Amino acid sequence: MTLSKEILFLIRKEFILEFRQKYAISGILLYVLSTVFIVFASFFQLPKQVWHTMFWVITLFAAINAIVKSFVQESGSRQLYYYQLVSPHAVLISKMIYNALLLLTLSILTWFALGFIAGNPVRDLSLFSGALCLSALGFSITLTFVSAIAAKASNNATLLAILGFPLIIPILMTLIKLSANAVGLLSDTAYINDVYILISIDMLLLALAIFLFPYLWRD
Amino acid sequence: MKQLKAHWWKFLGVAILVIVFLKGMLVPLSAGIISVSRNSAKPLENLQLVVKGYNTHFKDSKGPQAWLKLDSLYSIQCSSFIVADQTTATVAFWIPAGLPYEGTRAPLTLIIDNEVDGTSVLPFAVSFVVNDIASTGQGWNVEALEGLHERTHTTYPFRNILNETIRNTYFHVPLWFGMMVLFIASVISAIKYIRSKDPHDDLKSLAFCRAGILFGILGLVTGAIWAKHTWGAYWSWDVKQNMSAIALLIYGAYFVLRNSMSDNDSQARIAAVYNIFAFVTLIPLLFVIPRLTDSLHPGNGGNPALGGEDLDHSMRMVFYPAIIGWTLLGVWIAQLSYRVDRLKHKLLNH
Repeated sequence: MTLSKEILFLIRKEFILEFRQKYAISGILLYVLSTVFIVFASFFQLPKQVWHTMFWVITLFAAINAIVKSFVQESGSRQLYYYQLVSPHAVLISKMIYNALLLLTLSILTWFALGFIAGNPVRDLSLFSGALCLSALGFSITLTFVSAIAAKASNNATLLAILGFPLIIPILMTLIKLSANAVGLLSDTAYINDVYILISIDMLLLALAIFLFPYLWRD
Repeated sequence: MKQLKAHWWKFLGVAILVIVFLKGMLVPLSAGIISVSRNSAKPLENLQLVVKGYNTHFKDSKGPQAWLKLDSLYSIQCSSFIVADQTTATVAFWIPAGLPYEGTRAPLTLIIDNEVDGTSVLPFAVSFVVNDIASTGQGWNVEALEGLHERTHTTYPFRNILNETIRNTYFHVPLWFGMMVLFIASVISAIKYIRSKDPHDDLKSLAFCRAGILFGILGLVTGAIWAKHTWGAYWSWDVKQNMSAIALLIYGAYFVLRNSMSDNDSQARIAAVYNIFAFVTLIPLLFVIPRLTDSLHPGNGGNPALGGEDLDHSMRMVFYPAIIGWTLLGVWIAQLSYRVDRLKHKLLNH
């Protein structure tokens, strides 16, 4: 099998697994909806600034919750079986793509839920959607790789947060600047530079993750 | 003699740092003006300014002079210079009827000169407010200032706001340089480890990381003290402060990761992988994002960069050796830490 075929096959496997064990995905959905509800119940009215802040807080924690399980939901021996069967890169890339799709769905869901309950302050739809796509990509690349590291150590849920949060801050800060533009909190016409920076950080981390993964999975 | 040959760089580092501490702390600041008693002047008045100097020697000097300077062409010379003590003097000026150019308001720079302290400058000391827009050149000196004295002994530049804290340049800035060198050494050892699987490379990487984080903490602390004196608060939520704190969190997580694993081999391997990954995220954190955002630091957000009058030759003579000295000290600390770890490793394997 070629690499792309392997990746497609593995992504399909991830989807099937997710549908079989519905508790994981439904837990995250419930988390998003209940947080949105709590936010609304405590603020009643969400000014733009609060809306924007809460959106990123909810998305970030949903991302951590969604990605933490990537490398632990299957046992170590079964993963070893995958690594023998297909190339380890295919495993990593398929998980990254799957997580990016999952995060994109989650952030769009958060957007709709917040918009439904508290109104939609987003002015520039295409910029905001672009920011969501870039956030899904960046979070997925960083957090998937960090979860692969954390899975090797004990107590990996806490470790993922400790390792992941500081690493994600450069991406998050650039993203917040972009989406603040989309919501109308900032008016920076040169936001295209931020997009380039995000893409280059993402590509750099992706290349690094692919380069380093072979040293990680072997025990 | 043999010892000296093998450990010359340690002696060099310590010698440089001794010089840095002595010269950095003992060389005085050049004379400066801290404040004047009035900040505005009206046309045709006899302006009496009580000037507070810093490190000045008004009493020892023979003929102190003062000017209020508008630009490179126009200035006003003082009509009298009455010395109260070494640092206080009352200077009187006859203010002209109007500005030589059209306008209602202009900042005047105070310049004081004497043969002991040389020339000291207070930019925007007095604001000249005119009601009449019509311009008049009467009462203004149009000759360039002449007979200014130069300092004869070595001093550091006097900067308002910075004052004596300018000496922190020899500690705060080189500590960050040292930290970067140590982190680079750490990541190189990590790359070596994943290629060679030699546990000594892993221990080296750990030791460099430890020394680097120590320098980072010291850089943050010296920066916070400096910020308290110049920006008014220990933590000003400046982008560089935030980013370097996050950088330290990233490297702090490195130690958490190491401690969460008991197996030596996989600990070393995974720590090396994380180290490389962390180092790459450090680059946008420290070198890209601070350049995109406004910062209070020199060189950002319209502030002048390091250099020019802030870092003159007398300071460069200490600043550049300080970078080398601190880096050598950091490498020495890392080496000691590595040797302790190596001994522990030996004990465990026997």
